[in-house]
Amino acid sequence: MRILVIEDEASLREQLLTRFREDGYAVDAAADGEEGLYLGSEFPFDVAVVDLGLPKLSGIEVIQRLRAAGKTFPILILTARGRWQEKVEGLEAGGDDYLVKPFHMEELLARIKVLLRRAAGWSQPVLRCGPVALDTISQQVSAQGQTVDLTAYEYNLLEYLMLHNGEVVSKAELTEHLYDQDFDRDSNVLEVLVGRLRRKLDPEGVLQPIETLRGRGYRFTLARSPNALP
Amino acid sequence: MLSLNARLLIAGSLVLAAFLGLTGFTLDKAFRTSAEAAMRDRLQGHVYALLAASDLDKNGLMSVSKEMPDAGFATPGSGVYGQIASHDGKQALRSPSMVGLTIPFTLGLEMGSNRFERVIASDGTPLYALGFGLSWKVKGKQRGFTFSVAENMNSFYVQVNSFRRSLWGWLGGVALLLLAVQGSILRWSLAPLRRVSTDLAAIEAGQATQLEGRYPQELRGLTDNLNILIRASHAQLDRYRHTLGDLAHSLKTPLAVVRGAVESESSVEELRRTVQEQVDRMTQIVEYQLQRAAASGRTALAAPVNVNTVVERIAASLSKVYADKGVDFSIRVESDAVFYGDEGDLMELLGNLMDNACKWCHHRVAITALPLADIIHRHSGLELRVEDDGQGIPPENADRVLQRGVRADETIHGHGIGLAVVQDILRVYGGTLEVGKSELGGARFIVSMPGT
Repeated sequence: MRILVIEDEASLREQLLTRFREDGYAVDAAADGEEGLYLGSEFPFDVAVVDLGLPKLSGIEVIQRLRAAGKTFPILILTARGRWQEKVEGLEAGGDDYLVKPFHMEELLARIKVLLRRAAGWSQPVLRCGPVALDTISQQVSAQGQTVDLTAYEYNLLEYLMLHNGEVVSKAELTEHLYDQDFDRDSNVLEVLVGRLRRKLDPEGVLQPIETLRGRGYRFTLARSPNALP
Repeated sequence: MLSLNARLLIAGSLVLAAFLGLTGFTLDKAFRTSAEAAMRDRLQGHVYALLAASDLDKNGLMSVSKEMPDAGFATPGSGVYGQIASHDGKQALRSPSMVGLTIPFTLGLEMGSNRFERVIASDGTPLYALGFGLSWKVKGKQRGFTFSVAENMNSFYVQVNSFRRSLWGWLGGVALLLLAVQGSILRWSLAPLRRVSTDLAAIEAGQATQLEGRYPQELRGLTDNLNILIRASHAQLDRYRHTLGDLAHSLKTPLAVVRGAVESESSVEELRRTVQEQVDRMTQIVEYQLQRAAASGRTALAAPVNVNTVVERIAASLSKVYADKGVDFSIRVESDAVFYGDEGDLMELLGNLMDNACKWCHHRVAITALPLADIIHRHSGLELRVEDDGQGIPPENADRVLQRGVRADETIHGHGIGLAVVQDILRVYGGTLEVGKSELGGARFIVSMPGT
């Protein structure tokens, strides 16, 4: 999952970058509105975190222009001013959620997960495809009733595949969404990652949840289960 | 910029001058005309007298009896002159007063015709003259005569001038009097304005807090609104002062705790936990105090805010935030439900209440807005109801929920601050908040705003 962070305050931006990377997200950051708009228009992001008070181009304007350019990825607004007037303006401009500064990093992460899940059309926090269940809140994965222990990268890979289940996801797309700009695209890290994930999810090889389509990419084959009542 | 006083005085004086000037001119003209008519009448009388005194013999010669009809004719230099001249130029009788004087009378007037004119005598005196033509048949021949009389214009001038003097004297006097009256009327009428400005100066100097005088009806709208503005700005100042004080004081405790923790030799883990706790607490304090101080309060001159627009905008925004829940908003805003105050305050109020309702509800949130009849005030009040179909608030907890900073459900973030902000805004507007049970099954919050 690739996140765009547009935040002018350097220390907060660094904190966000570090924390997102720790959680296995690919992150690109911009320090002002213009740069943010450029990145947002050029790269395929899954979610953006936008501060409203930005130099050069206000956050509201960045959001409006991204939306006008047809970008549909969810946008979370960060604002120091918690008045409803600002919240409503931000949401009307095209934001999907807001968080008032100062905030807890955990809350921000939880909100981002909700936005990602919602954008993929899942309305519940637990993604369930047959015997595989992924809880986006606790970040726990289980297969056939057994808890599966995943690293952050493996978790993010699985989450991306499950959010787009049934679709063919190319390697390039996966690389773009899982790693930021600095990643070495020629390596076969991805294949290794997919192989490890397959073994962890399906040690006996009965489910075959991740299909390889030669030259095209991967597909998560298990169908979405109707949501169990909470 | 010309003062109101000067404007009114200049305008009034111009009108006065124009009116009196025209009046004087008209009266002068009328008097002249009537004096001239009187002069003509007198000359006519002289002509008739001359006619009565004259006689024509059978040879066609004119003679005048010794006794002159008017003493003036007989006295040289009297200013009254008479002449009878035949049209054939054979005979011309002149009154003794005309000795040594030639007057260019018009001669040869036709039978029965009159001629009134101004002439200049040979010594340069201006005269009014009247000629009258007559003819007789003598021995089968027509003989025509012109009877002419003239009178010095001096008396006429004297009369007209004396009239003018008294006319303009009176008019000038009246003008001065009217100006004085106008000036004092202006002073009297504009006195309330001057009073407002001295009262404002007193407020500026800190000697008063309100425009307290009694003002005329035309100014009352202005002064009442000024008073509301002044009150609002005072209230805001007070609020800022209190908030600042509250903020400083309430930050002292967490700061003391942090200092204590740093100074005591507790472990890094413990220190981290304590700092974390206190930072959270300070964050909450700052957030709360900021929102509290931000309430703008009533603005006396603002246009009413359309409640429906605000409700719709917030509902649309909340639909995004609570997309997972798929909240079903039912909105009923009566067309005449408007809010006299700051739009940001109304948004804050409704935003917090509707946000809470969305947090608590299962699926349904209802918002109702109606005008509240208010007979005392010019503008009606406003009632807002925000209801949800959640678990509701048990009556025994209702009071607690309204207490500052207490959350009915600790697991849902930010509930208490929201309601505290709502109450602070309502305090500014003099409104009330009630908590009850909704027909939808959940909580119902009713906001009542008085009119203004």
